Amino acid sequence: MTPLFRKVLVANRGEIAVRVFRTCRELGVRTVAVYSEADRGARHVREADESVAIGPAEALRSYLSVEALLRAAHETGAEAIHPGYGFLSQSGDFADAVRDAGLVFVGPPGDVHRLMGDKQAARRAMAAAGVPVLPGYDGDEQDDVRLLAEAERIGWPVLLKPTRGGGGKGMRIVGRAADFASALAASRREARAAFGAETLLVERYVERSRHVEVQVVADAHGAVLHLGERECSIQRRHQKIVEETPSPALSPAERRELCDAGVAAARAAAYLGAGTVEFLMAPDGRFYFLEMNTRLQVEHPVTEAVTGLDLVRLQLEVAAGRPLPLTQEQVVARGHAIECRLYAEDPDNDDLPSPGRVLYLSEPEGPGVRVDSGLLVGSEVTIHYDPLLSKIVAWGQDRAEAAARMRGALRETVVLGVVTNLARLRAIVEHPAFTAGELHTGFIEEHLSELSPSRCPPPLALAALAAALRLGRDGGSRARRKAPDPWTSLGPWRLGGGA
Amino acid sequence: MQLRCGDELFDVRLTGAKGDWQAVVNGQPLRLSLRAAGEGRFTVHHAGESLTLHFARDGATLHLFWDGVAYRLVEAREGARRTVRHDTGALEAPMPGRVSAVKVAVGQRVTKGEELLVVEAMKMENALRAPRDGVVRAVHASVGEMVAPGRALVEIGDVEGRE
Repeated sequence: MTPLFRKVLVANRGEIAVRVFRTCRELGVRTVAVYSEADRGARHVREADESVAIGPAEALRSYLSVEALLRAAHETGAEAIHPGYGFLSQSGDFADAVRDAGLVFVGPPGDVHRLMGDKQAARRAMAAAGVPVLPGYDGDEQDDVRLLAEAERIGWPVLLKPTRGGGGKGMRIVGRAADFASALAASRREARAAFGAETLLVERYVERSRHVEVQVVADAHGAVLHLGERECSIQRRHQKIVEETPSPALSPAERRELCDAGVAAARAAAYLGAGTVEFLMAPDGRFYFLEMNTRLQVEHPVTEAVTGLDLVRLQLEVAAGRPLPLTQEQVVARGHAIECRLYAEDPDNDDLPSPGRVLYLSEPEGPGVRVDSGLLVGSEVTIHYDPLLSKIVAWGQDRAEAAARMRGALRETVVLGVVTNLARLRAIVEHPAFTAGELHTGFIEEHLSELSPSRCPPPLALAALAAALRLGRDGGSRARRKAPDPWTSLGPWRLGGGA
Repeated sequence: MQLRCGDELFDVRLTGAKGDWQAVVNGQPLRLSLRAAGEGRFTVHHAGESLTLHFARDGATLHLFWDGVAYRLVEAREGARRTVRHDTGALEAPMPGRVSAVKVAVGQRVTKGEELLVVEAMKMENALRAPRDGVVRAVHASVGEMVAPGRALVEIGDVEGRE
């Protein structure tokens, strides 16, 4: 069979670029990596057939530069551009520019990105298609009096949400009428600063809710399939860190209803390719449309683990104009999968990102374990990009087995040189509430005190470290023993010891 | 040897040889054996248990991985005393990043918790807030500037007449 494309450029970096290249290689598609000055020698650059420098470290002038990316595609003769996630993956203008340059954008057309990128328009489109939305207000009249009246009608607490943007910016929970005016002003100010528009949605705020989402995939021949749901309730700063499929909260009937709503949403959006419809699930089991992500999700590997499908391959097939190679009945999920996101961030310091150089790396392996990583020993984790380092995925026959494998995999994972959230991930998957499947978006806040390990090592670790240092010093040759410090004399950094 | 972990100082004394050690850590005695198990990796036996230590050195900083948790230690010179961090009223950058907003000027009164400036790194904006009430004495940062962790960005003094 002729390859889907001769050559694909991945307009991204890190683990997702590495992951897309893997599928391309398997399909006989040649690969092009792009990199900024900060990523010279990064793993994603080494794993591509060709690579092109596209600009300085600053993302605006490299990974977010449409011009630089199109030039790289032109120079290398790439036929298609895969945007990964983040960066330009949900930019309608980028999707259009790629098409206008005579290339294939691996994702939906610009109009779909624009519709779903506008929360107000998306909410209206979903409501019109019969997809459940939260009690709320998505009207054009934005004066204070009208918005307050709508909040009163919806019932407290309410959530103010900018119609543009994401990442939790400008969002405000308001518990009572007395706080409304100041919250409104703050929300508008942040929305204007971050997204250049201050239109707000008002929606009911649901406490102790879950985040569930439906993976959909649609081709250009009218087929829209769902690949089941994922639960991503464990979040910090409105960002997911642990995801799984299936959701432990859904009955088979609820699952059917949710997945059908996901398909209806994708049809209403005239969707193309792989996408995700996100829902909020209230404690009473009812679910409501939140937003649609018009790209591959970070957490797509859990879906791949239970369905055995390769989502990047499906994306490429759809982008090449082929029909989806399977029907809904042929999508069979087996077992349970959990993903943990390893971030270069410090849970003991407000989750602040923690750059540095990777000095030592040991990634887990074994039955049912998959690691999608962008790391190498010596990799620099810089302040310029998202601090996601790698994703650890564990599959099992059931949730208990998947969780046990995840606990083992996290115990095997070692990263030295950058502070990571590894200890927090372990604490989460070892927590009785996680084992019981009692998940909600406030999980970390609720259990935070139990998730903070001590900042300093125990005495035994310190004694062992001193012994290891001594072993290194005494174990060296006479010549090395004479040196003031045999460790630093070998270079700017090195691994400890070695007999 | 002495190892510093944040504000804590640990005194570690070691006697023994050939992999068997008697250690005293801040006065607490411990017995352990240790052997190399690969680059940067050691097997530790203690009280019938077998554990793994990973470590790597980066200049004076020792990166230690133990029981699933990573720690950062600094080898202190013998005789170093516990440093007491006293409040200078300076607000320091908590991480390297780019200053994306400066919201105060010298002479301005601020209240505890007020947003003074915003530092952006890795796609995240972090608001730095006033640690206490006072008056801005100095601002050492401007928009667009890259700052290193620990660098003083804003100094806050007492309001006149209350000193």
